[in-house]
Amino acid sequence: MQFWTSMGIEINQEIIDIILLTMKLAIVSTVISALLGIPFGMFLERVDFFGKKVIIRINRTLMGFPPVVVGLAVYLLLMRRGPLGRWELLFTFPAMVIAQTVIIAPIISGMVYTSCKNMAPQIRNFAISMGADRWQTFLLVIKEMKNDIYFILITGFGRSISEVGAVMIVGGNIKYKTRTMTTAISLMRNKGDFGEAITLGLVLLGISFIIQCFVDFLRRYEENVENN
Amino acid sequence: MLKIIKLEKKIGDFQLNVNDLRLEEKKIHGIIGNNGSGKSTLIKLMTGLLKPDTEIMDFGTLTKQDIVITVPRPYMLHDTVYNNLTYPLKIRKQVIKKETIMEWIDRCGLSGKEKQYAPSLSSGERQKLSLARALIFEPRVIFIDETMANMDPDSVVLFEQIISEIQLKKPATWIIVSHQLTHIYKLCQCIHFMDAGSILASGTPDEILLNSDNPVIRQYLSKYMIGN
Repeated sequence: MQFWTSMGIEINQEIIDIILLTMKLAIVSTVISALLGIPFGMFLERVDFFGKKVIIRINRTLMGFPPVVVGLAVYLLLMRRGPLGRWELLFTFPAMVIAQTVIIAPIISGMVYTSCKNMAPQIRNFAISMGADRWQTFLLVIKEMKNDIYFILITGFGRSISEVGAVMIVGGNIKYKTRTMTTAISLMRNKGDFGEAITLGLVLLGISFIIQCFVDFLRRYEENVENN
Repeated sequence: MLKIIKLEKKIGDFQLNVNDLRLEEKKIHGIIGNNGSGKSTLIKLMTGLLKPDTEIMDFGTLTKQDIVITVPRPYMLHDTVYNNLTYPLKIRKQVIKKETIMEWIDRCGLSGKEKQYAPSLSSGERQKLSLARALIFEPRVIFIDETMANMDPDSVVLFEQIISEIQLKKPATWIIVSHQLTHIYKLCQCIHFMDAGSILASGTPDEILLNSDNPVIRQYLSKYMIGN
């Protein structure tokens, strides 16, 4: 422990709680965003309807939407005088999940839509040519696109874990309740508490590195299979 | 008898209009004609890969699972050669016997490649695999769209033998689209010549390929007979 302290790194219960809360937030937000974004992306590719192009444009706009603006919008919805104020969600974990889902779900649906547009028609034609029914065709599309979907989920998770603006606004950065790694780093820097800020920064860096390793592993696995 | 009473499809400036085409079951039919005459469009409409504008067809007791189509650039599942061959059996809930799969792998000249990643096969090997995959579940109707175009002469002979063996043991209905007229002449019992989206003439190989007086057919034959 002394070694870490001499390196300027501090590990205490608060830091561990912050890391756990951040991971929980990223996982829950990514799962909910995936449940919404993957079917929506596939629906957009598969079904033609009036106004589809506008929906795609809105989705693409949301993909690059500044998180602080999303945070502000969710704040206005959840504030006591806002339309959803009676649910008293502001400055709670669910509020942060809502904000992150608003940020990540369009990213996932947009990326799934693009992948599906490139791959799904030929997979569907193959399935039909083999005599597959609708359900078997749908399952085959999912199976054949699984690697793309992994990459998309990892991208969503990475976006979630590094997000700061929106969770700061709707979560309020409350100690032991809504403080995440990014909001804690921001606060600790203001307080001049660089030891804990560095520790969290390194953990965040470590998580990003692990995510990157996982993506590389998937890519290499795919390449190995292709070369065999 | 596969009856096409009326089949219409407009794609851009092209209009397919096939009336009263009858394909006798358990026979090998060839469809020939210039590029853009509608051969591939016709078989895609018959197999459900394309949606017709008008459709009056009677395929008797045939279901979707009795029909298969192979295309010039076949889709390979992101899996091994072996698992590509099991797919049509799986969707039909047929028993997968390893010896049957291995027999087909040997039969189509892919011995030793059962564990290879199917998308990494050469284009000729992909076509062999796509044919084996189409034949493995013993379909009642087989549509072949230019699938032998990229095969070497030995492989074409091999598949001609396979088709002949199938016709002896358990005859199926074949509809083969090809410009390889020698191959069509050898295999088919009936040939349909397509021009500008319609069937211009139907008859035996001798009637169409050797004794036709139709100037359009004669012009086509003068182009394709050389080297075929």
